[in-house]
Amino acid sequence: MVDLTVDLGKFKIANPVMTASGTFGYGFEYKDYYDLRELGAVVVKGIAVKPSHGNPTPRVAEVAGGMLNAIGLQGPGVDKFLHGAEYMPFLRQSGATVIVNIWGKSIEEYCEVAARLDAESEGIAALEINISCPNVKEGGIAFGTDLKLAHKVVSEIRKVTSLPLITKLSPNVTCIADFARAVAAAGSDMVSLINTLTGMAINIETRRSYIANITGGLSGPAIKPVAVRMVYEVARAVEIPVIGMGGIMTGEDAVEFLLAGADAVAVGTAIFVDPYAPLKVIKGIQEYLERHGCKSVGEIVGAMEKP
Amino acid sequence: MKTGEIVSNRVLQDEYYEVKFYAPEICRKTRAGQFVHVKIENLKDRILRRPFSISDVSGDGVLTVVYKRVGKGTEALSTLPAGTVCNLLGPLGNPYSPPDNEEFPVIVAGGYGSAATYLIAKNSPGKGILLLGARSKNDLILIDKFTAAGFEVRTSTDDGSQGHKGFVTELVDRVIEENKDKKIRFYACGPTPMLLALAKMLQDRGCNDAELSLDHLMCCGVGACFACVVKVRADNEDGWRYARTCKEGPVFKASEVYTGE
Ligand SMILES: Cc1cc2nc3c(=O)[nH]c(=O)nc-3n(C[C@H](O)[C@H](O)[C@H](O)COP(=O)(O)OP(=O)(O)OC[C@H]3O[C@@H](n4cnc5c(N)ncnc54)[C@H](O)[C@@H]3O)c2cc1C
Ligand SMILES: Cc1cc2nc3c(=O)[nH]c(=O)nc-3n(C[C@H](O)[C@H](O)[C@H](O)COP(=O)(O)O)c2cc1C
Repeated sequence: MVDLTVDLGKFKIANPVMTASGTFGYGFEYKDYYDLRELGAVVVKGIAVKPSHGNPTPRVAEVAGGMLNAIGLQGPGVDKFLHGAEYMPFLRQSGATVIVNIWGKSIEEYCEVAARLDAESEGIAALEINISCPNVKEGGIAFGTDLKLAHKVVSEIRKVTSLPLITKLSPNVTCIADFARAVAAAGSDMVSLINTLTGMAINIETRRSYIANITGGLSGPAIKPVAVRMVYEVARAVEIPVIGMGGIMTGEDAVEFLLAGADAVAVGTAIFVDPYAPLKVIKGIQEYLERHGCKSVGEIVGAMEKP
Repeated sequence: MKTGEIVSNRVLQDEYYEVKFYAPEICRKTRAGQFVHVKIENLKDRILRRPFSISDVSGDGVLTVVYKRVGKGTEALSTLPAGTVCNLLGPLGNPYSPPDNEEFPVIVAGGYGSAATYLIAKNSPGKGILLLGARSKNDLILIDKFTAAGFEVRTSTDDGSQGHKGFVTELVDRVIEENKDKKIRFYACGPTPMLLALAKMLQDRGCNDAELSLDHLMCCGVGACFACVVKVRADNEDGWRYARTCKEGPVFKASEVYTGE
């Protein structure tokens, strides 16, 4: 028997597969498909202080091997998330391991959401800080692409909550390992990566961008090699657990991330193709471990051989 | 036969095709206005599903989709032979509420809208009218099926090649005028500009229980990704909010549709 549990330091998960934020709604949307406890963790779509409309439409475009999205973090706001039946109350009762992804337009906003969730933290395993949100007060620089701001936002959030913190790193930087080091130093308990890569697609007949926001985030199989490389770099740079994602469609894809140094993985865009994808990824990892005579997931984490 | 297996796939008319899938479970649950999310086999580097309204279902588990060839996905679908198995997710979305015995159903459809509303006509206790609009006469589809279901069909085309020359919404007032004595219930599906114009018209005429199927570029199909949103009226400072057409729609009441900027 293979032991699929993963110890992430601050908490354990039943298996190494989570859902990527923004691709699994609030879990509620998939409740009729399977028991959410079968997942390592459910990571919900980004939560902010206030409800938010998100971006104008069209918000997505399909491209070779993936998609671009500029949803713009449409969401219910933290009050409704904590008390609306289809959000946290549902998740608590589902028994799933829940990670709440948070975002803000300023450090104050990030801290406010974190504090609100901390105050009613029953059923919340961790917060995932999305620092790749493009609209920020400080001169329009994204927190995720400025080392000082990345450090600052995490250390400020650290002050207002005792919940485990996962910082979600942006791949739109030259050296992602520097960001991993910065947020680890600021008190992040883990890092997750990668968020989407900024991209564009133009309809040559209408000469307009396919996306109303003009640019969008690229996800899906197209970004997997970039994601694996970044996980490899980050895992070597920091001691804290690493959650890897970006284009995982199968168990084999997930194993690549584990070998590169991820302690756990998240499945995103693949869920749009097949709601059962996360379960298939779990099964694929298990089969791989059995085939290689491994007893636990930990045995293959960072176990990539030298060339 | 396997679930999702293509039973037949043929040209219906011009760029319109009709594909039949074996899908007994989906057929059993389907109500008018719902859709299936199809993973088109052989689509190579395009990975997302394609949503299609369920046009018809049969007692022996055959589900019909009528689709127009418009891009890579529908092109690939049009080449799939019988026997190909496609993964189907469904039925998804909220259905139309069917007309009751007293109601006189009037369906306003554009483009593939007649395919999306056919089940209303098929299951309607009383017979009604279909107002069908399209660019040109080659795009007017399923007239025979609606006629066979006992519906009167009136058409309009942009180029005047068949029926009224102009927009299908221009046929609405006469139907209201002619059927003053009846309790008309409007249903609609078609291109978004047409539906927005119609929603405004129906709101002005007090037909608030009319039901319109609004769709938008869809991704997950179950309400998780917030890609397919449209504006609906809301009790907030903007007067609107974005609603997910896959989960909160695709069928909305005319009174809910936001027709402002
Ligand atoms: C609820 C719903 C019901 C539908 N029912 C029907 C139907 O019964 N018959 C029919 O012919 N068409 C229907 N459509 C539209 C159909 O889904 C698109 O025409 C189809 O996805 C186009 O795919 P493509 O790869 O050929 O085009 P491409 O333009 O190459 O597709 C690229 C992307 O755009 C999306 N897309 C393109 N046009 C539309 C559109 N109008 N609506 C939604 N997504 C779109 C595709 O899903 C894909 O992700 C429906 C759409 C929705 C949302
Ligand atoms: C439609 C969509 C919405 C997303 N929303 C969020 C979000 O709200 N917060 C966040 O941190 N990441 C968000 N992401 C990024 C994903 O969580 C993930 O990092 C990225 O898509 C790469 O993984 P994938 O290729 O498996 O999808 C979103 C991605 C997609 C496709």
